[in-house]
Amino acid sequence: MSEPVVEIKGLRKTFRDFWLRPVAEAVRGIDLTVERGDVFGLLGPNGSGKSTTIKMILGLLAPSGGTIRLFGLSPRARAARARLGYLPELSYLHPFLTARETIRYYAGLSSLDRRTAKKRTEELLERVGLASVADRAVGGFSKGMARRVALAASLVSNPELLVLDEPTSGLDPIGTRDVKELIRTLAKDGVTVLMTSHLLADTEDVCSKIAILSHGQVAAIGRTADLLTRTQDARFTVEGLAEDEARALADELARRYGKPVAFDHPSVPLEKFFAEAVGAARG
Amino acid sequence: MRRFWALARSAALEALAEPLSAILFLVALLAVHLLPVFHLHQFGEAGRLSRECGFSALLVFGLVFATSAAVHAIGRELESGTAAAALARPVPRSMFFCAKVAGVLAAFALFLLSVAGATLLSVVTSQMGRIVTQGDVLVWGPGVAAGAGGTLLAFALAALGNGILRTRFCVGACLLMALAQPVALAGILFFNHSPVPWSLLPALGVLAMGCSVFVVMAGALAVCLKPAAVSALMTVAVLLSFVRPLRAVMPDINRFWLVDAFTSGGTIPARELCAAAGAGALLVAFWLVVGSVLLARREIP
Repeated sequence: MSEPVVEIKGLRKTFRDFWLRPVAEAVRGIDLTVERGDVFGLLGPNGSGKSTTIKMILGLLAPSGGTIRLFGLSPRARAARARLGYLPELSYLHPFLTARETIRYYAGLSSLDRRTAKKRTEELLERVGLASVADRAVGGFSKGMARRVALAASLVSNPELLVLDEPTSGLDPIGTRDVKELIRTLAKDGVTVLMTSHLLADTEDVCSKIAILSHGQVAAIGRTADLLTRTQDARFTVEGLAEDEARALADELARRYGKPVAFDHPSVPLEKFFAEAVGAARG
Repeated sequence: MRRFWALARSAALEALAEPLSAILFLVALLAVHLLPVFHLHQFGEAGRLSRECGFSALLVFGLVFATSAAVHAIGRELESGTAAAALARPVPRSMFFCAKVAGVLAAFALFLLSVAGATLLSVVTSQMGRIVTQGDVLVWGPGVAAGAGGTLLAFALAALGNGILRTRFCVGACLLMALAQPVALAGILFFNHSPVPWSLLPALGVLAMGCSVFVVMAGALAVCLKPAAVSALMTVAVLLSFVRPLRAVMPDINRFWLVDAFTSGGTIPARELCAAAGAGALLVAFWLVVGSVLLARREIP
């Protein structure tokens, strides 16, 4: 078992009003562990406690009960927070700063020296495809461009743990694909990623582990492949098989094993088809 | 230190980037420069109206500018989420609060320098006018033209810079208007060797210290209250600061208002200046601690 980056035990959070009366019990006893190198997806419907959990991990909210350890430390410990990057659900940016200044601002908050900050900023502007608009104020950016700036800002300190709250929110399909590719690359480089998303297909594409939250509790948790694979069933793909041949093969299998056999024709994911179509149109 | 600098710089930029800031700079400076035009100067002590207008501009426009900037830098950032994005980094909350306040106070210092330059020029101009009116000729033209004209030219240059070089208009306007004041003063002094009332500067500094108390107080309140509530509370606080029985619990603005001492050629004793500045510094430190403690205990949803 590899080193735990985030360890949560019995985590609870109750929001209270001015008179300390409980208003909402957002998290009701969550246990989960994110290990080094994981791409961990936190899924759930609205109000399931995803963002509250993330904010407790970041030390922005105080838990009402239970414990959180980040790199073995308290989430409020500066040494722990120095090792993480955070992409908020909405791209909270100072509208009057340019893209370059925004990334430099976050580099400053991570105490990078001037030369490293400059180098990292230029690298990240290239990486998120904003080098050509680096000196424009982010207040005039589209939602997708602002998202890219926020993503670059979250990466500026070379974090060991990247916390992404709805990373593909507001991005077009090409941007979504790029972000997913970026997450995969980061994971290959050893960065641990903890992300939330409403887009189940995106999560399925990139997450090695998932936890599904419902009403502040963990409804399911485990490796994505283990949770989604139905090992009692089997599916074959045979290239170049015509409709009548496929039907005959299905009938043969049904006769031999005495079980109903279904077959279909594989389709490409819409995201891949979209990217190919746009790429072809652009020449 | 890099974190502190990054936060303070963004707060200062944000304070100056607001359109309200450029408007307040412009209105305050023009009010100070144009006052010598009024004939009232001929009936009273030379420069008195100019002095008092300068001090009033610093108190009224400066307070509006700096307290709204502080509420924006702390309260709006907490509401909008930019504070959460910053505090998820290895940034201590006390540093966040102090750096944001320092940034706002730096922007306020620019306002102070502008008003101080404008006030000195205005007093010099009114003295020129008085000297010449002894011969029934009012020569306020060069001083007013240099001050008001320089301020308007700075505003126009900022617009030009925004149009051609895409520089930030409001930030550029504030910086250029601030720069225009000493340049105009130096220009007038080059052609006319009038005495400059440098003794006004410490008194302006003390008044700025008094205003700073309200700025830090606004920032501290913005940690736990909505910006609209803080603005309302600050208005009440400033009004109450003039009420004698409440001076024990409220910052006493009268203590920082030392301009009356200059009437009839009077001066302010150094001990009085130091006492007022010391009281201001203590109150600023007190509200910095209050703001830091409130932010440390606050949840950031």
